[in-house]
Amino acid sequence: MKRRTKLLGMLSVVLAAALISGCGEKKEDDSKELVLFTWEGMFPQEVLDGFEEETGVKVVYSNFDTDETMLEKLSQAKGGDYDVVIADDYIIEQAVGQDLVQKLDKAEIPNYKNINPLYQGQFYDPKDEYTVPYGAGIPLIVYDPEQVDFEIKGYADLWNEALKDKVALTANYRVINGITLLTMGKSMNEEDTAVIGEAGEKLLELAPNVRMIQDDNTQNALLNGEAAVAFLYTSQVTQALSENPDLKVVYPQEGLGFGIMSAFIPKDAPNAAAAHQFLNYILEPEKAAECFNYIGYYSTNKEADPLVNPNLVVPSDVTKGEIVQNVSAEADEAYNKNWTEFKAACD
Amino acid sequence: MKNRTKLPNIYLAVIMIIMYLPLVFVVVFSFNESKLTAAWTGFSLKWYQTLWHNEGLREALWNSIVLGVLSCGVSAVIGTIGAIGMARVNYKSKGIVEYISTLPIMIPEIILGMVFLAFFSLLNLPFGMTTLVIAHTTFCIPYIFMMVKARLVGIDKSIAEAARDLGATQVRTFFDITLPLIMPAVMSGCLLAFAMSFDDVVISIFVNGPKLNTLPIKIYTQLKTGVTPEINALCTVILITVIFILFITSALGNRGRRTDKGN
Amino acid sequence: MTKKKHSKVFLTVAPLYLFTLIFVLGPLLYMIGLSFATNNDSWGVTWKFTLENYKKIFEPVYLQSFAQSFQLAFFSTLLIMLIGYPFGYFMAKLSAKWKKRMMLLIMVPFWTSSLIRMYGWIIILQAKGVFNKLLMALGVIDEPLKILYSYPAVLIGMVYALVPFMMLAVYSSVEKMDWSLVEAARDLGASPMYAFLTVTLKLTLPGLLSGVILTFVPSMGLFFIADILGGNKIVLVGSLIQDQLTRGSNWPFAAALAVLLMVMTSLMMYLYRSITHVKDLEGIF
Repeated sequence: MKRRTKLLGMLSVVLAAALISGCGEKKEDDSKELVLFTWEGMFPQEVLDGFEEETGVKVVYSNFDTDETMLEKLSQAKGGDYDVVIADDYIIEQAVGQDLVQKLDKAEIPNYKNINPLYQGQFYDPKDEYTVPYGAGIPLIVYDPEQVDFEIKGYADLWNEALKDKVALTANYRVINGITLLTMGKSMNEEDTAVIGEAGEKLLELAPNVRMIQDDNTQNALLNGEAAVAFLYTSQVTQALSENPDLKVVYPQEGLGFGIMSAFIPKDAPNAAAAHQFLNYILEPEKAAECFNYIGYYSTNKEADPLVNPNLVVPSDVTKGEIVQNVSAEADEAYNKNWTEFKAACD
Repeated sequence: MKNRTKLPNIYLAVIMIIMYLPLVFVVVFSFNESKLTAAWTGFSLKWYQTLWHNEGLREALWNSIVLGVLSCGVSAVIGTIGAIGMARVNYKSKGIVEYISTLPIMIPEIILGMVFLAFFSLLNLPFGMTTLVIAHTTFCIPYIFMMVKARLVGIDKSIAEAARDLGATQVRTFFDITLPLIMPAVMSGCLLAFAMSFDDVVISIFVNGPKLNTLPIKIYTQLKTGVTPEINALCTVILITVIFILFITSALGNRGRRTDKGN
Repeated sequence: MTKKKHSKVFLTVAPLYLFTLIFVLGPLLYMIGLSFATNNDSWGVTWKFTLENYKKIFEPVYLQSFAQSFQLAFFSTLLIMLIGYPFGYFMAKLSAKWKKRMMLLIMVPFWTSSLIRMYGWIIILQAKGVFNKLLMALGVIDEPLKILYSYPAVLIGMVYALVPFMMLAVYSSVEKMDWSLVEAARDLGASPMYAFLTVTLKLTLPGLLSGVILTFVPSMGLFFIADILGGNKIVLVGSLIQDQLTRGSNWPFAAALAVLLMVMTSLMMYLYRSITHVKDLEGIF
């Protein structure tokens, strides 16, 4: 009897505390807050703190897992709720297409001039009206020369029989389809389903070589000896090299595929003024360099280039690269099917 | 039928050790110098330092605890009372409702998350703690409901009936007879439900509000840049806290039980 | 039952009824509706009836992933039963104090992130990991085994993630079992094994079966385990749905896959109910 009352008492206290804390947070003043919507781990805490100190605006860091989740939540919020969104290039094209993005007021962003023009005028924002690039990624091949007895020069070498069960791949279906198309001399954005079908056949031949396919921590497979060759995202390449400098990095001769992450302000952002301030803040060369070093992506800020880790400054031949773009629904479905068949064939 | 052999206890111990093995490594690698778990590079406390400075992570941890307690509490009430009630009624709809209520743990989370997002916006519910609690309650109820139901099967109903014949009210009977009998099931159901809520990311990500993150969301959305050992450090802290709390409550509980025995 | 009593009993089930009908059935109906809708080329859906999504499931590549999921779910459930049943059974025989402790011991790991626990397994299983080093030190093997990113690794992960459900389900049904029945069987001359098979197993069947239900279907959806420990080489229905919702942005097809999964679940539940229904009566005598 006594125990029961004690238990009930405890439970009601916890519930009450929870309810109070749950409701309390809605009362805060919107103009003192900036809701930043992106993946976790995209900003060093110091940069966010620095912004708060300088402007008095608190950054509320909100996260999504995939670009598609972001777009879905943003469209349910009808372009409101969030002040700054950072996501991948192809999804921004869709967000702009759905009228969820507002045009930037460049007068409010004096540091806009620091952006490296290489990353401007891209397909998702051809007139540079909506976005500020925040880091570029170029998936590259990295291998352990001790375990591979020939020189890897391009994507085609991944098909080499000597690499049986030794290759680790990132899990982006368009990128993997894309490099297969590149080895066939086609574009990464091929629309012809017959050609995509051929790429699918070719991809199946890669299956015996695949040790693992994964998007996160793929570099670990290389470092712990599970794989001898890995096709990695930029941040993973940087991490792998910092851990084992003997690894060799290959800029594949068939051409590079690259992606750009960009920041934009949603149509009905509750605090658009602070959002502009924030974009300006992260375009300051020192702050930008701090960010790029932290996330390990290529610098998209010309003025920050001298300040970042030299590994993160774009090699001069990158202009030959191609960006993975949105394709027609039929083509996309063909890519998806290739991917599912490929994964199933890997075991 | 007393089993005198030690074999069963050895079996329990071995399985438990295996269950804790991965955790041991999570704890060990929270003290690793390197950002990667590929190899041990040296002892360091730096991940605990960054964890301490990461305000977002601490806030998310608190949100997760609140969410877990709320959804667990709501589901415990609905699930337990529901299971007892279901054992007594014989409505035609009983089977189908019971079946529907258990579906949320059978359907892949991601589609549930997607559908909840669409459904809640249809109802015009503001996204935040409320929507999170509702969504979590849907998948917490089945754990508690099923546990209690499994326990109720075969419990001697005559005891409860005898109590009522002796003049006890239904509420009295519930608290004094039925609840103590099913308490182990309610407890294990709650522990499971809390763990599931505390670990859920896929559904939460769709139904959380713009300013509300939970801990698993923070962990899972790091995948773009790689999960850092900061999370290992956090898991270690949580583990130690949980073990500490359990130790305290069991110490208190032991004392309490000794004095309570009289009633 | 008098009318008054009847309405009181209704009050006990009312919250469950209401909550289930609004917040579970509602979204589910939406999902079923979605599975018959037409997918837009760019983003979103058009509410135009079509059976296309269901037809698509029967393409070999998708059927294959159903088969793979089933196979994996079958093996993991089998292992989970073999490990979890004795565990729950022995646990129920412990003293009251240890029962409580054991239950907490089972639960504590699950209060940490499941993702991180899987990373713990990577550390153990990797080529230069603890497990291989141990085996090599013992002289069992000369070359490190390639366990990580293989089928066994996925099985280990699945069993590890789901076995507590079985343990707890079996435990709660053994715990309240009437041992005098087993004793009676023994007194009548049954061997321990025979008594176990004819009495104990039968009495604990509801627990075992709810354990199976709690592990079988979820194991088709836990694709992050196949991803992290299996290197994404086994395509589970769960990851198929994930792919369709995100990269493919084909919601109706994802919904159709989920509906099919739901139908299969229903079949299992139906079997469960028709088996345990008999038990209900037996338990009450």
